[in-house]
Amino acid sequence: MNVAVKVVLGLVIAATVVLRLVKARRRRRAAGDVARSPISSSAARLVLRATARSDTLLIAEREIRERLRGRLFRAVTLLILGIVAAAILIPALSKSNSAPVRVGLVSPAEPGARATVLAAAKAVGVSVTIVNEVSITAARAGVSSGGIDVAVSGLFTILVARAISPNDSSDTAQLVGALSSLLGKTAAEARAHLTPSQAAQLASARPVPVVSLEKKEATPPNPLKGSSIIGTILVFIMLSQYCGWTLIGVLEEKSSRVVEVLLAAVRPIQLLGGKLLGIGLLALAQAGLIVVFAVVLGKAVGSTLLQGAEPEVLWTSLLWLVLGYAFYSWLYAAAGSMAERQDQVQALALPLSIPMIIGYIVTLTAASTGNASVFFQVLAYLPPTAPFAMPVLLALKGATWWQFALSVVLMVLSTAVLAKLASTVYRRAVLRTGRRVRLGEVLGRSG
Amino acid sequence: MGHGGLLELDGLSRRFGTVQALDDLSFSVPPGEVVGFLGPNGAGKTTTMRAVFGLTELDKGSVSWKGTAVGAPERRRFGYMPEERGLYPGMLVADQVEYVGRLHGMDRPAAVAATARWLERLEVADRARSRLDSLSHGNQQRVQLAAALVHDPELLVLDEPLAGLDPAGIDAIGAILVDEARLGRCVLFSSHQLDQVEDLCESVAIIDRGRLVVSGRVDDLATSGARRLVVRVEEDRDGAFAASLPGVIVSERHAGAVRLVLDPAVDSDLVLRAAMRAGKVTEFTFARRRLSEVFREATA
Repeated sequence: MNVAVKVVLGLVIAATVVLRLVKARRRRRAAGDVARSPISSSAARLVLRATARSDTLLIAEREIRERLRGRLFRAVTLLILGIVAAAILIPALSKSNSAPVRVGLVSPAEPGARATVLAAAKAVGVSVTIVNEVSITAARAGVSSGGIDVAVSGLFTILVARAISPNDSSDTAQLVGALSSLLGKTAAEARAHLTPSQAAQLASARPVPVVSLEKKEATPPNPLKGSSIIGTILVFIMLSQYCGWTLIGVLEEKSSRVVEVLLAAVRPIQLLGGKLLGIGLLALAQAGLIVVFAVVLGKAVGSTLLQGAEPEVLWTSLLWLVLGYAFYSWLYAAAGSMAERQDQVQALALPLSIPMIIGYIVTLTAASTGNASVFFQVLAYLPPTAPFAMPVLLALKGATWWQFALSVVLMVLSTAVLAKLASTVYRRAVLRTGRRVRLGEVLGRSG
Repeated sequence: MGHGGLLELDGLSRRFGTVQALDDLSFSVPPGEVVGFLGPNGAGKTTTMRAVFGLTELDKGSVSWKGTAVGAPERRRFGYMPEERGLYPGMLVADQVEYVGRLHGMDRPAAVAATARWLERLEVADRARSRLDSLSHGNQQRVQLAAALVHDPELLVLDEPLAGLDPAGIDAIGAILVDEARLGRCVLFSSHQLDQVEDLCESVAIIDRGRLVVSGRVDDLATSGARRLVVRVEEDRDGAFAASLPGVIVSERHAGAVRLVLDPAVDSDLVLRAAMRAGKVTEFTFARRRLSEVFREATA
């Protein structure tokens, strides 16, 4: 079965489990309400369930509307789009605008020299202009005066004005590097009097695979392409950003004291759930806009930045961004309810960001070396680090579809537990004003 | 007031650390009259009001509405103005009031209409499309009241609604509370300035240190207890004449007049004659007992 199909299957199972949990929870809640209210028909239960849902949606709707109305959100979105555009356009434009490298061929040119120069230019993606020079002296003069960038004489001499350092990445340096090895090969083939077909056979030589008797160790580490690491970086940046919104959002409602008016009408879990849903939907829309913008713009200008990104890594990263947000946003919201002023935000957010940073760094290391350490594999199943580690572990073929689904299920279950805990902390802390609330105070018997 | 109210608070107790905020507090709020919930700062008024909305946990006791324990469905029909005022500073005034109305179960058209009506009534309609934080303190207070009233609640709970208002503001809000009560609703509001609200409320529950000190109709409380006399004698501004009278206590000296509390056995004519001996009497009035005196005498 295709890996993508398997993962989708796993997700459907996970989603079903979540829906069942949520439904059971709602039934219990509604039953509790009905027991207290004079009406207790099933119709009343339905009404209560419907109002609880519509309250949450109403709160989410306000969250989205007010953020869209604010200048800050629009400005930040435009800024990010601008940065993305710059990251894609500047390399693409500077590449297409660069002048061709001028190569002087000393005539009478050796047969094959011209073809070799063109082949080398093609291999490194550099455009060239070939100029014929009457003699080696003329070519030397051309190089030193800057009339040409490179002079080639026969199959054995390449002249440049200045020595080329190993980390020089200019077009001239790239061309000269490719040219020098190609010319050397052409010269060797010429000396050996090989026919073109013999030369082609030599060129297609491949290393012989090494088979070891020990099992399992056959596949060497295979680092992910740089473009695939973008998924991990996106998850980290967006998770930090959007969870920060929830923390600040909760703190603003607390410090403006509006929360007391709201909690007189709706339950804490509805208020918090609606807020997180609203911010989450907006975040997803912003993230989607940025990704679509980057892909479309990259295609339009032929940028190589997004080429070769494994689509599997990108979409599993997006899924884990959603799961990660669902998990962390509760934590950040609870932290926000404990703060009293903006300057306490740093101290509260720091301990929450530590697992995120660990997951991010370990995952980046694993992705760039292609080496899935045991530690990294464990992180892929721990809810706080799974959003970073699991998509990459899957891409490194370190996890099968059912292991991926298992991690998703663990994540969903722990999110449910966390939501309950966080809304308890929130309920007890958000109305306490005057000073920062300590965790021990709200987790003990209190109100 | 006793029992028979729609809102019943029964045996509320709540301890915060070493402080007993509420201590077996019981009283009820009948419909149709404005009930003042009075007491000094820190007496437990805010904790009680929060308990009605489930915003603080109780160690003991229960809050019921029409005989049923108060839960989420009941609270949607209540209106609340917390002591620490709060709305979204950056949100438009009308959007904000409409939002609170919808959270209390109104549909959008009804919430929009009610918002317009209440902003008009509270004389802030011209600021409907302004950000809340661009309004003056007094006008923000009016918007806060609109948010408590927008869904025509059956019970209105206002924590210190008159604090920080000018006399015109106090009259305007007082008139609305009386109107709401006349529509048959329950109106409970708190204040720590007992004498300021005497004219406004018809019944009171006065608490101190989490306990109910006294409750009843204001008229009954004001006319019961020892008689009070306000006497002004031109040549005796400090009321020295009264100091020597048995059974008479000088409770206050203010602007040349003295306020006397008389024992039941004392004949007021004796006081008048003593005053006339001291000089020219320009004022001699029987006064109602003030709520602050009711409180002082009940806690003495």
